[in-house]
Amino acid sequence: MMSFIPPRLRKPLYRTLAGLLIAGAWAIGSSGAGRWPLTVVIAVASLGQGVIRYAWAGEDTDEGALLGSRADERQQLVGQQALALAGKIALSAAYIGVLVTLAVKQSDVWPFLAMFAITGFGYLLGLSNYGSGEPAADDGMTARHHARSPVSW
Amino acid sequence: MRNRIREQRIQRELSQADLAEGLAVSRQTVISLESGRYLPSLPLAFKIARFFDMTVDKMFDPEEEEAGA
Repeated sequence: MMSFIPPRLRKPLYRTLAGLLIAGAWAIGSSGAGRWPLTVVIAVASLGQGVIRYAWAGEDTDEGALLGSRADERQQLVGQQALALAGKIALSAAYIGVLVTLAVKQSDVWPFLAMFAITGFGYLLGLSNYGSGEPAADDGMTARHHARSPVSW
Repeated sequence: MRNRIREQRIQRELSQADLAEGLAVSRQTVISLESGRYLPSLPLAFKIARFFDMTVDKMFDPEEEEAGA
């Protein structure tokens, strides 16, 4: 599906759809006078940020390249570092949220606990996917080294 | 780590945009490479060396920085 969408449009489109989903969730979950006006506000804001992101994606900058899905290896690294920082901040915010809600109102602690647990699980998943899950491979020399130890007693 | 990207580019009268196009990277990345702020991956290092008809060890010299530091 992605190949049908021009690269420059991909991320702005996904962010817009994410915003529209929030508008939809608000429309479903709320009632009363504020239901539709706020739904429209969220939807318009989502479309607006999508247009801004699309314009930004056309710029000759690192941010534009990342938004426009045409980042080279250095720009991808910059994006990964920014994402890692966002993850650290999210984990810290969740931890602070847990601490504060435990001290103030313990019944509200679960969203922060869930966010803390999910972010921590994401980190473990990352370790598993990108390295620590690497099985120990036979290098073809270990057995020979064991067979002919240079140390004699 | 020092590199000879800027020197070679100027010698061949190429702009940073020309080099970026030749290497299929962004102009910003060429700027970062030339200033030594970004160390390229091995595939990109080979690509750069081949672009300038040089070997990787001639293009990138880790000892130069150590001597200058």
